[in-house]
Amino acid sequence: MLSLVSIFLTCLALILIPCLFIFRRPSFPLFLKKIIIFINTTASQYNDEEERYGTIGEKGKRGRMPKHVGIILDGNRRWANKRGLRVSEGHEAGARTVLEHAMDCFAMGINTLSLFAFSTENWGRPDGEVNFLMAMFEKNFKSEMAYFDRYKVKISVIGKRTNMPQSLLGLIHEVEEATKNYKEKHLIMALDYSGRFDILQACKSLAEKTKNGLIQVEDINESMIDKELMTSCSEYPNPDLLIRTSGEQRISNFFLWQSAYTELYFSNVLWPDFGEAEYLKALTWYQQRQRRFGRRV
Amino acid sequence: MDFNDPMLVLNSCIGQIVDFGLDLLWRFIHIIVSLCHIVSGIFEAIESYAISLGLIQRYCSIDIEKLKCLAVVVDIEAAARDVSKVIELLQWLTTIGVKQVGLFDSQGLLKKSKDMILEMVPRSVLLQETGERDISSDRIALEFISSSNNKEAVVKAANILLEKYLKSSHPDKGEEEGENVFTESHLNEALRVVGENVQGPDLLLVYGPVRSHLGFPAWRLRYTEIVHMGSLKYMRYGSLLKAIHKFTGVRQNYGV
Repeated sequence: MLSLVSIFLTCLALILIPCLFIFRRPSFPLFLKKIIIFINTTASQYNDEEERYGTIGEKGKRGRMPKHVGIILDGNRRWANKRGLRVSEGHEAGARTVLEHAMDCFAMGINTLSLFAFSTENWGRPDGEVNFLMAMFEKNFKSEMAYFDRYKVKISVIGKRTNMPQSLLGLIHEVEEATKNYKEKHLIMALDYSGRFDILQACKSLAEKTKNGLIQVEDINESMIDKELMTSCSEYPNPDLLIRTSGEQRISNFFLWQSAYTELYFSNVLWPDFGEAEYLKALTWYQQRQRRFGRRV
Repeated sequence: MDFNDPMLVLNSCIGQIVDFGLDLLWRFIHIIVSLCHIVSGIFEAIESYAISLGLIQRYCSIDIEKLKCLAVVVDIEAAARDVSKVIELLQWLTTIGVKQVGLFDSQGLLKKSKDMILEMVPRSVLLQETGERDISSDRIALEFISSSNNKEAVVKAANILLEKYLKSSHPDKGEEEGENVFTESHLNEALRVVGENVQGPDLLLVYGPVRSHLGFPAWRLRYTEIVHMGSLKYMRYGSLLKAIHKFTGVRQNYGV
């Protein structure tokens, strides 16, 4: 009986799994979501064993899921150009992809998902595009607030916030306040974010604490800077896996300090086309790598 | 009660079967992905040998002028065991015409072998010794970097800015004064004061089992192209040429 069921499941896998790598947008997403949830259940077994026994053997490394995944959402404009669409339509397609896949990520056991949606350098884009993006962020925060509240997703927005419209800032504050008590799932939106600015503001924050007598100069070290970075809002501030879409192979001023031992995965797929199959590829690739955090084995 | 016992046993059996099936499914996915990697690895190896033999025309001449600074990240195991491979890599880079190379390993093992590497790599000089002078076309400037040049250096630079801030802070200025001291150019300057190079490499080649920059100075990595080259033990000249050639074709928007 056991072997018959195993054979059946293996045959099912033989039929379904290759489709993950053939179809960009599978025509049967419901099956894929179920597979992802099944895989999460298996992976969580390995995580539980690791926590219970405190040992990480090869088997454990294979089954480990990243706790914090960062994604650089690149390729919206190229996606639109390829289809003869307006740039704004590319950004809207990218936003839909965010909303569609955020919950899939959490279902896979990922605790924190960071999305690099708008960098400080992006302010240099044409005014029309920038204004559209700000309006789109506002629209999506408004429309999805109830959704994130219902699914208990904590929302944090990190970034400079100096040039953002007041209406957007107010909405961000509202969403953060409404979801601040949730712990299991954390979505971090990096808007007007710069890795260098993150380091600088951490140094400035420590300087002010020193000036106010809260800490001594000689106490300042790497871990104090870690605690002042914008990612300190997360239980897992350093990403385990950083994905960049659209084929570019750089981190473009995202999480410079935090990414010392982060696995970097560069996908050739443009962000609006990044789907379940690409997630699976990134996660299985992550699980096949060894990470030693600079120590000798 | 009697009815419940067989049901519990049945549920437990079903649970075990499902778990076993899921395990098979997950292993199968790993097999598929591993096979894909093996096949693409074979193709890459063939292409690399073809490039080394000069069979692929477009790799025969590379516009090296675009590559001002290249950095190499080496896994600590390779840094400990394969210094000869590092020397061979540097010799290849000299042949290609790269003028400035930063060598990084997290523990600073290559720093300890600095003298030997400088001796074994022809026409090599320490970057610090070149100063502001342009590196002549037949020389290669080497920089040895470790984790102490990363976060530790930023902490030292931050302390310099902090002292500046505390000395110059005025009760009336407050926030404004902080913004005047804590800027990118100020931190660049402070890093130079503690002896750090702030120039970001154009291209970072990572040799090791992991595609991670392993703690390369974060401040310098803003727009750096990062390419994972695999194990240093199995490095290939063709792969190196291909990575550099690909970099020369990259066009960055810098976010704009």
